[in-house]
Amino acid sequence: MGLLNTILGRTKPVQADLDALFALPSASVTLQSAAGLACSGHAGVCFKPPSGQGFEDMQAEVVRLLAMDDARGFHKAEDSYGYHWLIIEDADIEQLVTRVHMVNSSLSDSGWGPQLLCSVFGLAALAGSDADAGAGGAGVVGVAAALAEQADEPVPTGLVDTGGPMPEPTAGPGRVVASTAYLVYLFKRGTFYPFVPTGHEQRDTETELRLKSLVADDLVVESDLDRWFPLWDLPVG
Amino acid sequence: MSTARNIPSDRGLTLRMFTTGLLLVILYGAVIGLLIAFGLSYAVVLVFAAIILFVQYWFSDKIALFGMGGRIVTPEQAPQLHGVIDRLCALADMKKPRVAIADTDVPNAFATGRSPNSAVVCATTGLMRRLDESELEAVLSHELSHVAHRDVAVMTIASFLGMVAGMITRIMLWTGLMGGFGGGNRGNNQGGNDNAALVELAVLVVSVVVYAISFLLTMALSRYRELAADRSGALLTGRPSALASALVKVTGEMSRIPTRDLRSAESFNAFYFTPAIAKSGVSLSTIFSTHPTLEKRLAQLASIEAELGRPS
Repeated sequence: MGLLNTILGRTKPVQADLDALFALPSASVTLQSAAGLACSGHAGVCFKPPSGQGFEDMQAEVVRLLAMDDARGFHKAEDSYGYHWLIIEDADIEQLVTRVHMVNSSLSDSGWGPQLLCSVFGLAALAGSDADAGAGGAGVVGVAAALAEQADEPVPTGLVDTGGPMPEPTAGPGRVVASTAYLVYLFKRGTFYPFVPTGHEQRDTETELRLKSLVADDLVVESDLDRWFPLWDLPVG
Repeated sequence: MSTARNIPSDRGLTLRMFTTGLLLVILYGAVIGLLIAFGLSYAVVLVFAAIILFVQYWFSDKIALFGMGGRIVTPEQAPQLHGVIDRLCALADMKKPRVAIADTDVPNAFATGRSPNSAVVCATTGLMRRLDESELEAVLSHELSHVAHRDVAVMTIASFLGMVAGMITRIMLWTGLMGGFGGGNRGNNQGGNDNAALVELAVLVVSVVVYAISFLLTMALSRYRELAADRSGALLTGRPSALASALVKVTGEMSRIPTRDLRSAESFNAFYFTPAIAKSGVSLSTIFSTHPTLEKRLAQLASIEAELGRPS
């Protein structure tokens, strides 16, 4: 806050900073090899809806754009704090990031940037890895196999039913599964931080710090730990 | 296609605030000049006042919390309150202040602390009981705006002048009572003593006048800062009507609270979200009030709401 703004008692609304999102796919690759985690295919954009018709119109426009792209892969949600979410599902991480970026840039280009709070990307354990504790995956579907499958078939959306000898679905490129951890992107700062909820209003700080060190080379991680606020009741799957 | 949200800045409010501050600065200069003209002893007064003020400013958070019975709470103790403040701070890209709760049924909230780095935002249990989530969020947004605007520092500096003038007034009265105005020392310095007496009397009168003027200006500045915090808070949440609704609820409740509770809160009005006074519609007291009238605040919020509601 500049000195002039302080003296006059004005606050300039902070604008969003969007391009850092595109570093996520490379971070996802790093996480796969280092931690056995991959993007789960779920993402959400959180914003605070102001009153007034202007924002309603903009929101309808964004929903229309998302529907043009893929009518089934998104839905709206609201959390217990009164913030609204646009939840997007896409098994392809690049596509997911692009769609999330599209939502954000549409809102911010039309002047609603100050209403954006954060974007959240889900992570889930890969099958056959140490991190695959809760997924119950007995299968040995490796990253290589999943990649090969993705090359043969068109990019799937929603849950992938591979049929045949494949065991239970696991996270990896080409699948959408339940998330166990999240990467939260703070617009106003242009930084990420990991969030690992473990139960009702409980978080695994140790794992979060470990994830931070793993992705620090790919993503700009938020250095001020006070800003890693918890997102309880997260509607992102 | 909708367009960008362009709320025009409130030129009038900015201009009035700037003018008030300027007048205070001019008064500052005049009094300091006066003090210097009278030599060292008055400068000592200045230094003394500065020290008191600095201590009050530096420990403002501890003083305010102690005075109002607030205690710092952790996220585990008050998860909902912390959650709301977390998100507001992320929206505003500001450092999160410490959070406190005061256990009293008077519904109110305040922000204190010498800088945004050491700030505290406190809400009373009475407030949290009466308001719903969006209204509580609006009130907290108003308080966070105070933190961001550094209002504690600004109001401390503004009230400095009044404090100095008040101290000089008091000292002059004491020395006047003790020595009489030139009553003693009726010796060969008669002419000189009469002049000194007149000068001392003049200083006393000027001190009183300065004190009165600076008090009124400081109150006016406080009212403008409150309106500015209302404005910034409403723009942050994007829901001015939630703040308006909270104001109406809290102000209406004030007149229903038994007198005893309110009297203990009245001395801290400057800090509060809305002044803890039971009487309504006492118009003369407006210029002495730290907060703008409810009507004025609601009118500003209504105009922001109208701006937001405008389609492309």
